[in-house]
Amino acid sequence: MTFDEGQGYVVLATMAVPLVAAFLLVLVPGTQKMWVRYISAVTGAIVCGLSIYIFAAYQVDGSHTQMTLRWVWVENTAFLGKDGVTLYLAVDGISSTMALLTGVVAFAGAIASWKIEYRNKDFYILYWTLLAGVFGTFFSYDLFFFFFFYELAVMPLYLLIGVWGSTRKEYGAAKLTLMLVGGSVLIWIGVFATFHEANLGTFDLPKLWAAGQDGTLSPTFQKTFFPMMVIGCGVLAALWPFHTWSPDGHMSAPTAVSMVHAGVLMKLGAFGIIRLGIQLMPEGAAFWMPGLMVLGVIGAVYGATAALTQRDMKLISGYSSVSHMGYVLMGLATMNQIGVTGAVLQMFSHGVMTALVFLMIGAIYDQAHTRDMKDFGGVTRVMPLWVIFYTIAGLANVGLPGFSGFTAEFHIFVGTFKTYPVFGGMAIFAAALAAGYMLRLFAIVFFGPMSPRWSDLKDLTALERLSGGMLIASIVMMGVWWAPFTDRISSAVTLLPGVTS
Amino acid sequence: MGAEQAWLLAAIPAGFFLLLSFFGRPMPRGGDYFGVISIGTSFVLFFFVLADFLDTPGKVGPIVNSIEWSNIGDFHLRMGIYIDPITITMFGVVTTVALMVNIFSIGYMKGEPRYYWFFAVLQMFAASMLMLVMADNLLLVYISWELVGVCSFLLIGFYWEKRSATEAAKKAFITTRVGDVGLLIGIILLFKATGTFNIQEIIHAAEAGEIGQAYLFIAVMAIFLGCMGKSAQVPFHVWLPDAMEGPTPVSALIHAATMVVAGVYLTARLLPVFAVADGALLVVTIVGLTTALLTGFMALAQTDIKKVLAYSTVGQLGFMFVALGAGNPSVAMFHLATHAFFKALLFLGSGSVIHATHHNQEMDKLGGLWKKMPITGTTFFVGSLALAGVIPFAGFWSKDEIFVALNEAWGGWAVLLLGLAAVMTAFYTTRLFIRTFMGKPKDEHVYEHTHESGFVMTGPLIFLGILAAVSGFVVFHGVGKAIGFPGGITEFIFLEHHGPHRYEMDWGFAAGSIGMATVGIWAAAWMYWGNSTRRSTVLAEWSPGLYDMLQKKFYFDELYQAAIDRGVLGFSYVVAWFDRYVVNDTGVDGSAQATGFAGGVLKYLQTGRVPNYAMAIALGVAGLAVAGLVVRG
Repeated sequence: MTFDEGQGYVVLATMAVPLVAAFLLVLVPGTQKMWVRYISAVTGAIVCGLSIYIFAAYQVDGSHTQMTLRWVWVENTAFLGKDGVTLYLAVDGISSTMALLTGVVAFAGAIASWKIEYRNKDFYILYWTLLAGVFGTFFSYDLFFFFFFYELAVMPLYLLIGVWGSTRKEYGAAKLTLMLVGGSVLIWIGVFATFHEANLGTFDLPKLWAAGQDGTLSPTFQKTFFPMMVIGCGVLAALWPFHTWSPDGHMSAPTAVSMVHAGVLMKLGAFGIIRLGIQLMPEGAAFWMPGLMVLGVIGAVYGATAALTQRDMKLISGYSSVSHMGYVLMGLATMNQIGVTGAVLQMFSHGVMTALVFLMIGAIYDQAHTRDMKDFGGVTRVMPLWVIFYTIAGLANVGLPGFSGFTAEFHIFVGTFKTYPVFGGMAIFAAALAAGYMLRLFAIVFFGPMSPRWSDLKDLTALERLSGGMLIASIVMMGVWWAPFTDRISSAVTLLPGVTS
Repeated sequence: MGAEQAWLLAAIPAGFFLLLSFFGRPMPRGGDYFGVISIGTSFVLFFFVLADFLDTPGKVGPIVNSIEWSNIGDFHLRMGIYIDPITITMFGVVTTVALMVNIFSIGYMKGEPRYYWFFAVLQMFAASMLMLVMADNLLLVYISWELVGVCSFLLIGFYWEKRSATEAAKKAFITTRVGDVGLLIGIILLFKATGTFNIQEIIHAAEAGEIGQAYLFIAVMAIFLGCMGKSAQVPFHVWLPDAMEGPTPVSALIHAATMVVAGVYLTARLLPVFAVADGALLVVTIVGLTTALLTGFMALAQTDIKKVLAYSTVGQLGFMFVALGAGNPSVAMFHLATHAFFKALLFLGSGSVIHATHHNQEMDKLGGLWKKMPITGTTFFVGSLALAGVIPFAGFWSKDEIFVALNEAWGGWAVLLLGLAAVMTAFYTTRLFIRTFMGKPKDEHVYEHTHESGFVMTGPLIFLGILAAVSGFVVFHGVGKAIGFPGGITEFIFLEHHGPHRYEMDWGFAAGSIGMATVGIWAAAWMYWGNSTRRSTVLAEWSPGLYDMLQKKFYFDELYQAAIDRGVLGFSYVVAWFDRYVVNDTGVDGSAQATGFAGGVLKYLQTGRVPNYAMAIALGVAGLAVAGLVVRG
């Protein structure tokens, strides 16, 4: 066994530990709520540690894919040839960054859900299943398993929101699930069309990518199916105009689900656009990317504008997510190294930052049972630490240097200006709008005279501090010293087909 | 320590920021002494950097030191420092004023809540500002620029329990942020054209004509938008007077002496690029002139001490931009330095008054304070003379230089307009001084309880007072040489291809300057000396409409508020409505309802009842028969 294979088992473990935890939780009696919590916290810590290892051990100068593990699943049947379906796990620079994001957010979300009382066993079973799906999607180099894990990540959301949610939760859960499934149908069609067109008898992604580049997948085919793949994945990435599940879904979702959903799941959509769009159908990408750029710009400006006058704190973050994911799509659509690297930076940045925002909203909502900004004022007096954490998240959201948002947005803007200066200018303008809606929230909720109604609000608990502290550390690290991130991401981005320097 | 290690000047206060913000609260006295130690160290290091710089062979050779920060493909980003006379001047100004403000704050902020936090943010502010002026690339400039902005936000909103303070902080941040949109666009445009963020490389590329004229003009104007925002030039000036909601030492440090000059600094730094772009310098001049004039008018009718000083700051920044527009960065930097000293003095002096009168800053309630507060009164007097441009105080020399430079560059009309602004400066400064310190007290109760501030506050006033009185003399060749600058500050800083220009007294302009100051002072003295109500209201009686317009600051705020409420927020409501009712309810829910409706209709196709099917078969057969007959027949 080579060292790289050995590391492959680390990758497998990162994906398998949440699944094992989910099975373990099935065996725990539902009345043992503390046991459930301990198991989940330990699982979170292990997963977080493993993902940090994957990020740190990824060698920037090494080969394109590292930590490879291949188990043949099915081959040489009626329609499958050699390596037909393999559990083919590996990481490249992009997925190692995404693994770190998922690990941090998963741990943060797991301990933030400590206070869930109602059926917490079931909650955590679904939670860890979802995360196994997320890790699996990021690690899969096999199209079959890619789609399998993608669905595994999406499905538990329906119950997580429908059962543990708030504010029109049934509506939010149903809409979210139906829209995402609608997207999945498009991907599903694309997956089989690709399998058929390539006619290689395998779902092995590197082989299919090669087919996409050497013309086995004809340009006409690519131009036809690229939009399906991108819209299918784009629904999960809040691609305008398929974004409306985002504000409603976040509004309904419980804290940890919002954290994981906005923090990690939305990234799956953008990640799918890279894997199934740019890598699989480079001709289609070259043809359609200007269109994606337009939708990205619309999303960026539209989300920021709509956020300006919202009153529900979660709706502000829901719309601001639309705006920030618009930046991601713009970065991808630039098809140049700086822009695409920026897009992946933004995926990480938006993940940790939004997770922190939702953690903070949850911390106050659990006590006040309202998220309407107009109900608050002067909260700094009773919850100073909460305000500091929220402020850091908000300033990262605004794109303030020193925090991750700036690093990411800056790269996206530079990349966009290379080919689309006007859109770049609009995106920067949207970043100024972000200052508008964040500072409005600060001014209304944090400052001013305090209503006596809130005098007994409690500041962050120790667990919330730990959870938020990890997210802040990630935000600040990317904001100040971003070379470890750009090194990893760009090592993968430079090899993407069609991406120019 | 060599000048290569100048980054320590910023790193030390940044470290103390972390120390104070994490551990300041439980420290005795909130760790205020650490603030003084932190800035004090930077202040001392400044002299080492200066000495090392002046010892460098060639005297004006810039010192650079940079490291690789990140790589993406062939995009290599380097971060580093660039030390030249402009940077050195800014180092001197920032560390001096920041040190004085830190010391002064120990007295002024005593007993305030969040005392440690105030000192922590002051350190962060100084660190960001020092970083800004030594950055060798525009990206680092932008980073520091935004950090300075957020420190300003935190300090303006320091009294966050007050709605007005929070609103002012928000206004400052968002207004400057709008300018920063331009700044970032400009930086990225220059990067696109040159492939680098390094300022010197960009300047070389621009001077070598590698960037097209129209493109360069757009890029430079975009950057200048950012400078206008930060330096509160018309039409971005609205945030600065409101920023006076912050504690007064902050007003002295940020909104007079250092942060607001960031725009002047950046324009000076990039002036060679501005000079290459046709018309850019004219725009700079026009903006500077407009600002100097408009804010001069606005300051005439204000009654709040700090507001008058705020408008005068905006106006003086306009003077600096005029100097830059005349293509003369050395004069702009000279005025920047002298202005920093006397304006910090005036703000700290007003802080001393406010502190002594238990937070009274309305001129209508003050008066006659010189007797009660001799040190504050005297130093304030010196500062006022410097601001009014009275010979031989610091402001006279730098203002005089600006007139000379302006005359050389754009000629008489510009000089006349700026002269009018100078007269108004002398007028409102005198008005401010007379109504606060002279005459009879207008409110006996306030007057009774007033007392001179302690030494921790008057000490900085005295120090700055001396600087305000004498710092202008460095223009003279002999004086400059004696303190180590070869030939005074105007030869120390100069636009490279213009060559050093030795200061010569132009008596014609000097006479003009003296005349303008005299007119302004005389007019104000005539109106306000001795509490004559008849004379002091002469303007208000002559034209109430005009007076009202001045007091309402030409309705800029009302106009902007309307634009935001009706325009931006209105648009936001439209978008939010569109998202809810068109995209979501019609598009998303609509397709769900359409699916449901279609299911409801189509379910009749499969009822499961035999008679229905039999009927369908019969109808089908009949239909086919008819069709067959029609086709055949």
